This record gives sequence, C-alpha cells and structure tokens, in this order.
Amino acid sequence: MAVSFGGAGLILANHAVAHMSRTLCAVPRARAIHSTAVCCKHQAARIRVGKGDKPVTYEEAHPPHHIAHRKGWLSQHTSNLDRETGAAERTVEDIFIRRFIFGTFHGLLANELVIKRRGNMLVVCALFTQKIPAYKLYFLIGYTETLLSYFYKCPVKMEVQTVKDKVVYKYL
Amino acid sequence: MEMTSCCSVFYFRNELAVLQALSSTVQRDPTASHYRFQDDPYLTPRTASEFKLFSLSQESGRNAAKYIINTYPNFFLKDYAEPHIPCLMPESLQPKVTEVCEAGLRELIHLRKVRSAVDMYDRLLQAGTVVSLELTNNLLDLICFYGDQDPVQGDQAEPEKTAEGEVVQDPAPRRKEGRFRKSDSLHRTWRKDNNAERIFHLMPERNERSYGALIRGMVKYGAHSKAFDLYTDMQNNRMAADVHAFNALIAAAPEVRQKYSEKWDLIAEMLKQMNKLGVRPTLLTFNTVLKSLLRCGPLSRALVLQVLGEMKALGIEPSLATYYHILVAFYRQALSPSTLSRTMLTTDLLHSMMDEISGKVFDALDPDDVYFFNYAMNICCSLKDLGLAYRVHSLLNVGDNWKLLGNPSREGFYYGSLFNLVCMMENIGVVLQWYRDLVPSLFYPNSHTMRDLLQALDADNRLDLIPEIWKDVKQLGLATVSGDLAEEVLALMARDEHSPEIQESFANCALAVKAVYGHGEQSQATLDFTASALCNMATILLAAGRTDQAWEILQLFKANNRVPSEKLLDEFLNSAKSGSNSEQAVTLVQMSSSFSLPATARLAQRVEQEFDLSEEQKKALQDVEATSDSDKD
Repeated sequence: MAVSFGGAGLILANHAVAHMSRTLCAVPRARAIHSTAVCCKHQAARIRVGKGDKPVTYEEAHPPHHIAHRKGWLSQHTSNLDRETGAAERTVEDIFIRRFIFGTFHGLLANELVIKRRGNMLVVCALFTQKIPAYKLYFLIGYTETLLSYFYKCPVKMEVQTVKDKVVYKYL
Repeated sequence: MEMTSCCSVFYFRNELAVLQALSSTVQRDPTASHYRFQDDPYLTPRTASEFKLFSLSQESGRNAAKYIINTYPNFFLKDYAEPHIPCLMPESLQPKVTEVCEAGLRELIHLRKVRSAVDMYDRLLQAGTVVSLELTNNLLDLICFYGDQDPVQGDQAEPEKTAEGEVVQDPAPRRKEGRFRKSDSLHRTWRKDNNAERIFHLMPERNERSYGALIRGMVKYGAHSKAFDLYTDMQNNRMAADVHAFNALIAAAPEVRQKYSEKWDLIAEMLKQMNKLGVRPTLLTFNTVLKSLLRCGPLSRALVLQVLGEMKALGIEPSLATYYHILVAFYRQALSPSTLSRTMLTTDLLHSMMDEISGKVFDALDPDDVYFFNYAMNICCSLKDLGLAYRVHSLLNVGDNWKLLGNPSREGFYYGSLFNLVCMMENIGVVLQWYRDLVPSLFYPNSHTMRDLLQALDADNRLDLIPEIWKDVKQLGLATVSGDLAEEVLALMARDEHSPEIQESFANCALAVKAVYGHGEQSQATLDFTASALCNMATILLAAGRTDQAWEILQLFKANNRVPSEKLLDEFLNSAKSGSNSEQAVTLVQMSSSFSLPATARLAQRVEQEFDLSEEQKKALQDVEATSDSDKD
C-alpha cells in the first residue's frame, strides 16, 4: 500500500491554500520514498546461468515448476493422498536415506535418488558412475540393503543402474 | 490355490497363493543373469569366477551390516513395524545373566557358547545345586553337536588344545570333491578326555536321551567303536535307543568291522534290534543303510534293491538320495576311471528308475539329495544316451526340483556334462539352441566345452559362426587361459576356402585373436605367439586380400623367433605375383634364407621364372642362391 510522506506535508487551513500556492514554488520540494513488502526472487532448486563452463544434469537444470511437465517425482509414496497420514515421517525417512546413500556410495552418485514405496517395501533406485570395480559396488549394495532394512524394519531393495560418467544435459 | 466366497469375502488357502500363481505364468529368461545380481551390464557377472566374486562380496556386505547392527544395537531398537518383526531386530550375542544359576546355563546353551556353558555347569556343581536332567541333557546335546568346541565363526579358527595342554593349530581344511565333502567342523575328532564323557560320568542318573546324545556325538566325530561300547552299555541297563541313535550306529557299522559280510551282518543286527524294540525306521534310516551298504563291496548290488523294497513296504517315500545310492551301487564300477570294463554295463537300471520317478516332485529331505542329478547326468554321458539325458533334464524342470541341483559349482558340472553330450550327439541347430538357452544365464562353460562346441560346428560345416563364438570366448575370459582355444579357432578358420564375406569376417576375427597374443596390459595374462598360430593368421589375412596386415605378421615371425612354414611362403609368393610386386618377392626369398629354410632355392627359382626382375634384384637373388648352396655343402 502506497504511503507518501511529504516533507512539506503540512495541513493548512483552507483559507491559506491560495496563499500557499503562490509561495509553494519557493519551498524546496522533497522526494517521496515508495516501498512495498519484500518480494524475493525464487531460488529453490535453480541453477543460475553463469559463464557456461558448469556441467548440469537434466534433473538439476529444470526448476521445480517443471515437475509433472518435464520432470518426474523423486519420492513416490501414497501419504499425500486424501485421508492418508504419515507424509512428514516419509519425508524425514527420505532425507535420511538420501544422506545415508550419499555418504556410503561416496562420489558415485550420478543423479538424485528415486525412492519408491510399494506395499511395505522400500525401493531405492540409484544411478551410479562406474568409478569402482563391480564387486566393491556389490559389497556396498548388500551392506546398505541390510542396514536400512534393520533400521526401518521393512524390506529395502536397491535397483542400481550404472553409467560411465555423469550425463550432462547442458552447460550453464 | 483355492478361492471360496463367503459373504463377499475371498480368502486364499495360502498367503503366497497369488504370488505363486503369478510366477507360474513367467518362465526363465535366458538373457538375464541370476536374480541376486543387479540388472545392469556393468554389474552382470561374465565368468564363473566373477559370479562367485560378486555373490560373495554382496554376502560379505550383509555380514558387515549385521556386525554393525549387533555392535551398536541402541540405534536399531525403535520399532516401526506392526506387527513386530523379530528377525529385523538386533541380536544380542552376549549373555545377559551373570550369576551362576540354571537360567544362566540355559541362556548360554541357547547362545551356543560351548565352553562357557561347560564352565557354568562345573561351577553350578561346585556350588552344590542339582542341575535338572533335562538341562543336563540339553548341555550334552550342545557339546556332542559341536564336538566340545565353540562353533567356528567364519575364518576365526581357534587353536585346539591337546590332552597335554599344548596348543595345536587347527589342520587346514581339506576340500574333497564328490561324495565325501566335509565341512571344517567335522575334521575335529573325538578326544579322549572329553567334556561330554566327563559330564556323562558325573551325572547321577542318565536316561535314553543322554546315551543317545553321546552316541551320536561319537559317531559324528569319528569315535565309532566307543559308540558301540556305549550302546552295549545301554543295552545292559535295559534302555531303548531312539531312531536317531540307531541311525548313527548304522552309519558307524562299516567302520568297526573289516570283512564285507561282517559289516552287513552288523547292519542287519541293528535293524533287527530296532524291530524288536518297536522303533520305527524313517527315511534317514534307510538312506543310512544304503550308504553303509555301499561300503560292503559286492554285496551292495544284491541288497540295495531289497532295501528299496522294504522301504516301499513300510510306506516310506524314497527321496533322491535313495535313488542316488542305488545308482552308485550299480554304476560305480562302470564309471570309475581305473577299470577297463567300461563297456561291461549289463544293466539298464537308470532307464527303469527314470520310468518310475519321471514327473515326481521331490523335496530336500536328505543332505545327499544334491548328488543325484550330477551322478545321473554322468552316467548318461558315459552311456552316450541322449534320450535318457533329456529325461533326467525334464525331471529337473518338474516343480521345484531345480532347487536340488546344489551349489553353483555343482550346477556348472551338471550343465557342462549335459551340453557336452548334446554337442556330441545332436545337429548344429539343436546345439545352438541349447547354447543360447544355457549360456550364460545357467552356467559358464570352460575351455573344454567350447572346444566341443567348435568341433560340433566343424562337423556340421557351420564354420561361419566362429567369429561369434570367439566373441563369447573372450567375454568368458577363456581366451588367455591356455593357448589351445585360440589356436584351434585359427586352425579352423585357415583350413578351407570360403566365400568372400565369410573370409572378411574371418579376417576381422583373426585380428581380434591376434590382440590376445602379445603384450597386453600388466594385469592380463598374455600368450606367446606360436608358429602355427602365426601361419594360420597370415593365411586367413591373405585369403581375405589384406596383404599389408599379412606382411606385418611376417615381421612378427622374426621378432618372436618363430619359423614360418614353406606352404605359407608359397602363398605369399602367390599373392605377390597377383599384385605383380617383385620387390616383395625378393624380400620373401631373402627372409626364407635368413631362416635357413631348405625351400629357399626352390623359391628363388620360382621368383626368377615368374617375375620380371631388375638387375639389383637378380643380383640379390643370386647372392641368396649362393649362400643357400654353400649352406647345403
């Protein structure tokens, strides 16, 4: 809402207006400051355009308003349906699982995890780079599946795909 | 699966019925690897050793996770599951009860801590408490099962203590293939100053269970005669042994007598006493009888079928182990490599056996069940009977019988012998069908199998498939194991004339084979060039018209100290002639003289006659002839 502060905003009596209008030209006029409520730029999950040397994957390149148009969902569960509960718990579990796998498979993740819940099973779909030999990857997969199963008391399966390098969509 | 509708509520007979019905609609996918692996080309095992490596590393990952879960159980105690899932809770491997009391002993027995349990028992006796008979029997069971030592976890082998108190290292576990494969624990022997015997003698009263436990422990760990002494002791006290103790005694019977007839007499004696006491024999009893009969020499053939008859009369369904022992009794002589009488097979027992058991579904009831399929396929191979082999294989496909094939190495042997038989007997179309079906989803062939496949290709004149087979050989990691496969492939390709497209593909394949030889990366095993391999490679390249590459191979002869054959040099001359390249021809002659081949003179003459030579070339030729003449002198 615009509010104007006048430096010379004096309320004068009507009979003095005419007198004022002649003398207003002589009084120095001050500039009014307009201000609005704070309205920040959207910066969620966006990578700003830079010099053009930063490789960016498809997932990272698209901001969130493209979900359901050009992107899918990274976490799939039914708690957000009508009359279903537990959305917050699922989200917290997801965050833990993402951090856990980021740390366990250090430097190997080529893209964000996709976490699906089917029945009581947790399916973690991951895309890894081929930096370590396959048997080491199997060790980590067996370890993760067992540890997360015991942690969340439900069967946890990993579905793993590997790529040579991170797949670059464009350079920003 | 049965569905009954009752007030619009459907319930199934079995919780898994829906899943089982769905799975019966899907068949095995021959292009996929084993289900325990991830479905990704980088993560699919390509050889048998990779299969083992990947499965073992996955399993060791699981063990690492279990170790962490059991070491830090406080992080895993929050229970999300409803209803509670006990197998997903951390296990406590340390005993909780610390005082000396019966509950503590019970817990230690439950946790399988043999030495601590014996310790606790001694302390209880010293404190004067009377330990109940049942608890003492449980303790005796524990000690006798584990042979008076703690169960070995993984590769922590604890040093054994002998009677003198010295520490003796555990003997390295021997791995025997075939029927007598023992695990590490069974290499322990029953010591003289055993805790089990000591506690047994300390017991104020003993019942059948105590005697039974001790007898079974003694037989398991090799103290056979002691077991029989204990049995006579038991009889003197007028106690009746139970069926498990009798099974153990029957298993031990061949060890305590020398002559075949005596062994059988002892077994028969045991059976009669079982009958007298009214103890009902089970499947395991009969299987043990058969197994011990096999140690009785020539009596076995006559008696195994009688035993089978007895089993059926009692209404006990035979398991695969029964049939396995019967097969061994009849075919043992014919299959052993030492006897020369391999053709003296006067029985068609396997045929009648397959008539009887085709289409039946078997369960795993006896540890020896897994040996049946391998042995039957072995017999089919030596009999060279393909129809019988197909019957055995169809039995494998009935229901869940495939689970009775055993561990992956056993599976590998079975499919290997099946495929060898198919290669020998069937035409190439069927062979290739089996090849695509079995490899590599069910078994990884070894070089012997690939040789058989190449021979089958040769016999049916389908040599154009060799480049594909070579690709498979490389992928299986068999190329560098021994040079035979590569040489065989090259020889087969170089032998005959083929159409131009096939020659092209052969040339490409020959170059691929060449890459296998020579100096590879440091970690790979490499083969040395042999003369025949180089000759064949050059021949193939010449036939495809790639003269430059063929000339490179000629240079390799000198570099690797190998001598080319004369036939090869003739072929090179022919190609030089068709290219009208006299320079090459002269070089050839010079090369052959440097190898001091006897055909140098003939080659020189041929070059003089067939080519237009310049002056220098003629002079060079004459020099060569002169040196070769002087060599002859």
